[in-house]
Formats: sequence, structure tokens, C-alpha cells
Amino acid sequence: MKKVSRLSYMAAAGSALALLLSGCGGSSSTSSSSTSASTNEVMNVYGCEPQNPLIPANTNENCGGNPIDLLFAKLVTFDTKGNAKNEVAKSITANADKTVYTIVLKSGWKFSDGTPVTSESFTKAWSYAADATNAQVNASFFSLIKGYDALQAKGTASDAQLSGLKVNSDTEFTVTLNAPSSIFPTMVGYTAYAPLPTSFYKDPKAFGEKPVGNGPYKFKSWTHNQSIDLVKNADYKGVQPAKNGGVDFKVYTDPDAAYADVQGGNLDVLETIPSSDTQTFQTDNTVQAYNKAGSVFQSFTFPSTLTHFKLDKEGRLRRAAVSMSIDRKTIVSKVLGGVGTPAVDYTSPVTPGYSDSLTGKDVLSYNPTEAKKLWKEANAIAPWSSSDKLTFAYNADGGAKPVYDAIANSVKNTLGIDAETNPYATFSAFRQAITDRKVTSAFRTGWQADYPSAEDYLTPLYSSSAADGNGSNDGDYKNPAFDALLAKADQASSTADANKYYQQAEELLLKDLPAVPLYYSNAAGVAAKGVKGFVLNWKNVPVYQNLTK
Amino acid sequence: MGKYLLRRILQMIPVILGTTLLIYALVFALPGDPVRAMFGARPVNEAVAAQIRSEYNLDKPFIIQYLLFLKNALSLNFGMTFSGQPVISVIGRAFPVTIRLALMAFVFEGIFGVIFGVISGLKKGKWYDSVILIVSLLLISVPTFVTGFVLQYFIGVKWRILPVTAGGSPGFLDLLMPAMVLGSVSMAYIIRLARTEVSSNISEDYVRTARAKGMSNRSVIMRHILRNSLIPVVTYLGTDIGALMGGAMITERIFNIQGVGNTLYQAILRGEGPLVVSIVTILVLVFVVCNLVVDMLYAVLDPRIRYA
Repeated sequence: MKKVSRLSYMAAAGSALALLLSGCGGSSSTSSSSTSASTNEVMNVYGCEPQNPLIPANTNENCGGNPIDLLFAKLVTFDTKGNAKNEVAKSITANADKTVYTIVLKSGWKFSDGTPVTSESFTKAWSYAADATNAQVNASFFSLIKGYDALQAKGTASDAQLSGLKVNSDTEFTVTLNAPSSIFPTMVGYTAYAPLPTSFYKDPKAFGEKPVGNGPYKFKSWTHNQSIDLVKNADYKGVQPAKNGGVDFKVYTDPDAAYADVQGGNLDVLETIPSSDTQTFQTDNTVQAYNKAGSVFQSFTFPSTLTHFKLDKEGRLRRAAVSMSIDRKTIVSKVLGGVGTPAVDYTSPVTPGYSDSLTGKDVLSYNPTEAKKLWKEANAIAPWSSSDKLTFAYNADGGAKPVYDAIANSVKNTLGIDAETNPYATFSAFRQAITDRKVTSAFRTGWQADYPSAEDYLTPLYSSSAADGNGSNDGDYKNPAFDALLAKADQASSTADANKYYQQAEELLLKDLPAVPLYYSNAAGVAAKGVKGFVLNWKNVPVYQNLTK
Repeated sequence: MGKYLLRRILQMIPVILGTTLLIYALVFALPGDPVRAMFGARPVNEAVAAQIRSEYNLDKPFIIQYLLFLKNALSLNFGMTFSGQPVISVIGRAFPVTIRLALMAFVFEGIFGVIFGVISGLKKGKWYDSVILIVSLLLISVPTFVTGFVLQYFIGVKWRILPVTAGGSPGFLDLLMPAMVLGSVSMAYIIRLARTEVSSNISEDYVRTARAKGMSNRSVIMRHILRNSLIPVVTYLGTDIGALMGGAMITERIFNIQGVGNTLYQAILRGEGPLVVSIVTILVLVFVVCNLVVDMLYAVLDPRIRYA
């Protein structure tokens, strides 16, 4: 679950379009013969300096997260579309009420230092991560496992274990949860759930500089501020083996420089488009461009205490009126240069559970007449005086200004009311004001899930348990009916069943509009000419294993 | 002279104390909590946050944090970055790159600035004087990032003459284009400075006298005109070295050079007080020392100046 600071957070992989281009270009016969072949070519890909040492549970950003995901194979992995597939796990089985999971591991998996991957590789790593003494930023990810609270006390031993984890044998362990969760088998595919070899505990800091994992790549070297170099792991036994000889993450501080390097052929892949190139990259004939709907959900949130916009009849009418007075299509095409897709639900088009036919989604289309009508109805309940105005707060460091100017103008022109924007200088100052509940206006919210599930777009953002500062329900939206549907989904017998409940829950959100969906930031990127297999996955990150040239 | 030098060096102490305190206060006053920022927008685990805060002394009052920093700095321990690396090793990586870049830019602007400026000044009104004047005017009026992006696109991407970006451990060729971009504006100023000085000195009495005595044109220019004309140029170059090192941020970002500017930029974004203060302190030192060297050079260039 991560909040997205950049409006145009565009991680992209140009696979589909790249294939399409090469097919049209007449070079299809030569390129198709080589697509399946593995090469020993090392790929140069865009990277940035990790904020923390390369420890899975202490990394929550892409600079460190992308290399770590290649270095460590988790229990499950996700295909490009975000469907979970067993990797190290042979099976993950739940008991009837989804509170106890029995996990059986495949045998024969080894870390690159030769030690075997056993049940303890997982249980000890998870306990270490959950233990507050070890100060891992992903600790909260383990809060659904029993025994988590006991590890939050000051002075807990750094090797204390989660009481909910029980090792049955080298290849089997059970996990007891605090509450039912049908999503747990998907969650364990997130970076923080990676197994760790015993050498980690001797010196975690040194390990973070030179990680040892079990993934499709092995660690070769990390020169700070220069590059993180990985080589193919020949012993890797999973479902996504590398087709190239290695991946070098070249460190950039500015995507503009990386874009120039892709144009010059010095960098193979860049999964973000600098704002200066958004209007031109698709027609730039020095690169292969990629642009598809992505997994970043962009919205703005109404605090449930905001005058005139509370969760009552008047507030709902006004929220719907504001939503209908925004011309999403024009904003996406004119302001964002087409690297976004107008939103029709509360998840994203690349998330299992996405639906473009929810009941009530009309509230997300531009309809000035209806907007005016609803606004009038609201005025009949409580009048909107001439001194009232609607303000939109946003962080100015992520390129959101033109979008919010357009929204404010759209609302102003359609409803004839006073609307303005309130920019905060930085994302961190903006987030702090939101967390402290000091923002007394509508405010920008962006979200990208950490694991591909509708659940990760809903529970952290709109459930009652995530309100009041306990999560990221920044508008403090509380709706028992919504919570009940989430709880039902948590005990659903299949993902398809769970998704049905999630969609019903979303339909409730469309009535209340705790947040107004705007658009999905696209997965957009560029690859150098001659690079093959450029595909962006469900989290807008290139599928590095498939890259060849 | 020795006394003067000592006095100048002692003056550096309050300057450095003052700047470090000021910078530390500014970083401290930055909006946003760096520890919370580490969690992105995920709910902050307060137990973990407290652990991190105490590790970096962030739970202590501002003045205590500053004094602790000073105390450790005296024993050359500048603290750790949030990523767990010693600040000193981050600085040790960044400064050599920037020093190389700044020196190349310095040499570039010094040599070409003086050569073109002197030619221009000696042959005032000739067509190449006009060309040099127009080009220098252009370089002064166009911002560095425009020069940078334009050169990068044509020389790097389009014609592939020089590397597009410099990358991790840049060599001479990698830094050539960035150094030209970085030094271009100063070069233009030096051209104008040298041109004005030369053209005004050329009509001075002592020059006429030297010529009347039958001195060769070459030694008139070298010994009389140039020596007198270069005093303001040296002053400018001296103060510029500090500006080149601190002001390389834009150039470093365009060409992806992992030097001081880029490191400082990221440190500010992440709210890393000790790193920001350490870098700025070193930059202040560079400025102060450069000024001192310039003042000393005056005495060499102009025999009338004496320090006591």
C-alpha cells in the first residue's frame, strides 16, 4: 500500500506496443525467431539510489524494491496481469474460517550461498520484520499475524518470534492470523515477505549491502550512486527465469537524463516518462514507446467533517455534483498528454477485480446539467452562501498543478461557485498535514497497491479500521455496510467470489464518494531501439526477466 | 604576511560555526517529518518510528542535536545517513567527481575566456570581435539548463560525438560536455571582463611609454597590458571556483553526475540534516579558502599591494 507522490507516476514497460511495432515494421520474421532465445546480454535499466540497505522488510520504494524483487523469490509470484502463482510454495491452504494457513514449500530451493530455503527462512524473516526493535519500515505488513502486538513493546528482544508462526517441518509451517483473511495468499507475494538466509541475522547491515537471495538473479555488486548489478541465477527454480545474462540498475537522480540516455541508446529501459516528454514520447522515433492503463489510482478525498460535504444527504448531493462537473476525458487527453485513463471504479484496470460496469458509475462521467441539478437540490437543504468556497489541496512537487487548476476551473464554470486550489510545497509536508487532519478542504489522494488485489485499494483507504489515523483512510469515511462487505470478502471461498463482494462495496463508495475517482495514471515508458520483450507488469514495473537485445 | 594569513584563518572559525548553525536550523525547520516520510503514506508504525528517531537523535531538542553533531564532527564523525552509510563516505564519493568537473570547467573558462577576451580587446571593432561579443552575450542570457539540454540533444543524442550522460565514475570524455556547459556562462563573463580591461589598458600612458622606448609588441602585451588586465579576471576566477562546485547542481542533474549538487539535492529532499550541513560546511570552506588565495594572488600580480 503506498501513497503515490507523483501525479504522473508512470512506470511502464513497452512490451505489447513494442511487439506491435516490430510486427508492423516488417522485421517480424527476424525478431520473432529470437524472442524465445535466451541471451547472455546484460540489460542496462533505469534505477535510483535505494533509501535503505537492500533488506526486503526495510524497503518500501521502487529504487530498492525493484532489485530486491529480482533477488528474492517469495511464496507466490505474480504474472504480468497480477494473478498469483505459487513459486516457493507448493501449496497454501486455509482452514474453514480463513484464520489458519498451512504452507507447504517445494523442496530443492536454495539461496545463492548454497544454504537451503526452509520453513525457518520464512518464519524467522517475518518475525524479524515485525519486531519493532529492528525498526523495519514494513513492520506493519505483519500486523495481521498473531503475536504482532507483543513484538511492538519497547525492549523486545531482536530475535523474538511471532507466536502465530509454527514450524512443522523444514518444508511446512502454519500461520495463525488475528482475523479471517482471504487475501493472505496474495499478500505473501509482496517484497516484505521474502525469505532470508541464516547469514542475514549475523550482520543485517552488511547483508543489506550484499544481499543473498533465491530469486531469478544473484547479487553481483552495488556501487553507491552508480549502479546495482545483478547476474542471472542459474540455480533459480521458479516460474520466471531470466532470459538475459543480467540486469544493471543504473542510478539516475533525474528521469530527464535517463530519457536522453534511452534516446542515445545507452540505457535499455526506462519505466517513467519525465514530464517534459509526456506530450512527445509516443511520436519520438528514437525510442520504443509504451503507454497503457496502469495501476496508480488518482482521486481527491472529501474529509467527512467538511462543511457542506459531510456524509449526509446534502453532502452526498454536493459530492456527486462536483464529481459530475469534472471533465475527466479532456483533462486526461489535454493536461496529461494521454498518459492517463479516466477512472470508472475504485481499483485499477490492471487489478484482478476491476470492473468498468459498476452500478452508479455514471457519477464519474461529465454531466454539467445533472451536476447543476444536484447542486440545486443540495442548496434546497442548506444554502451555499456567497462566502462559501470549495478548495482543493495538493502537493506541488509531483506535477499535479495543471490537473488541479483544470479541476477547480471545471467546477467553477459548471456549478458557478467559487473554487480554488491550495498547493503544499512538498509531498511529505502535504502528507503530514493530512495525517494530522489539518487539511480543511478536499485534497489530492493517489494510491498504488503493493499486491495485485482489489482489497489493497479498498481496505486501507475506506474501511473504518483505517480511519482516525490508524491507516490511510484520510477522509475518516465510516460505513458499517461497507465494512461488512469487506469482511464477507475476507471469508470468501474464491478470489472470484471475493471480487464480487469488493465490487458491491465499491458501488457503496460510488454513492457516498468518500474519494472522487479521477483517473488511473498510465503505465508508460520507453525502451531503446532493438530491445525486445519490454512489458510492464501490474505494478508498472518492467518484467526484467523477459528483456533481451 | 604571516600574521595576516593567521588572522584570516582564525576568522574562518566563527564563519563556519555560524553557517553550520544556520544550515542546521534551516534543515530542522523544513516542513515534513523525515521519519514519517520513510513510511510513504502507509500508516506510521510508531514503535518503529521511535526506534529510528532515537538512532539518529531526532527525538532530542534542536540545540542538543546541533551540539551533538558538532561534538562528533570534531572527532571527524559526521554521523550516518538514513540509508546507514557514514556521511563521510558519501562525501568522499561525491566530492572527487565534482572537483574534477569544477576544475575542468575552471580550466575551460579560464583558458578560452582569457584568450578570446584578449583577442577581442586588442582588435576592437574587427569582425571577430563582434562575433565573440555576440556569442558571449548569448551565453550570458541563456540559462544553463537550456544550454545543457540543447548540447546534450545535439552533441550526445543526435550526432553521438560525446557521451549523453556522465554516469557513475565519469572519465575525461564523459565530463567534457558538462564542464563546457558549466563553465560557459563564466567564460562569457571573463571574455567581457578581459576585453574591457585590455582595451582600456591599451591606451594607458605606460603602454605608450613602453612602446616609445622601443619595446617589442609582444613584451608590451605580455608584461604590461596582460599583467594589469588580469587582476580583475583572477578575482573573478577565484570566487568562481566556489560557485562552480556549489552551483553544479543543475548541470549534474542534466548529465546525471553523482556529485555534490545531486547529493545535496537528495539530502534536502530526505531531510538528512547531518549530510546537508557537512556538505555545505565543506562548500563554505572552499569559498573562504578561495577568497584567501585570491587575496594572496593580488600581491603577486600587483607589487603595490602589501599585506601586513
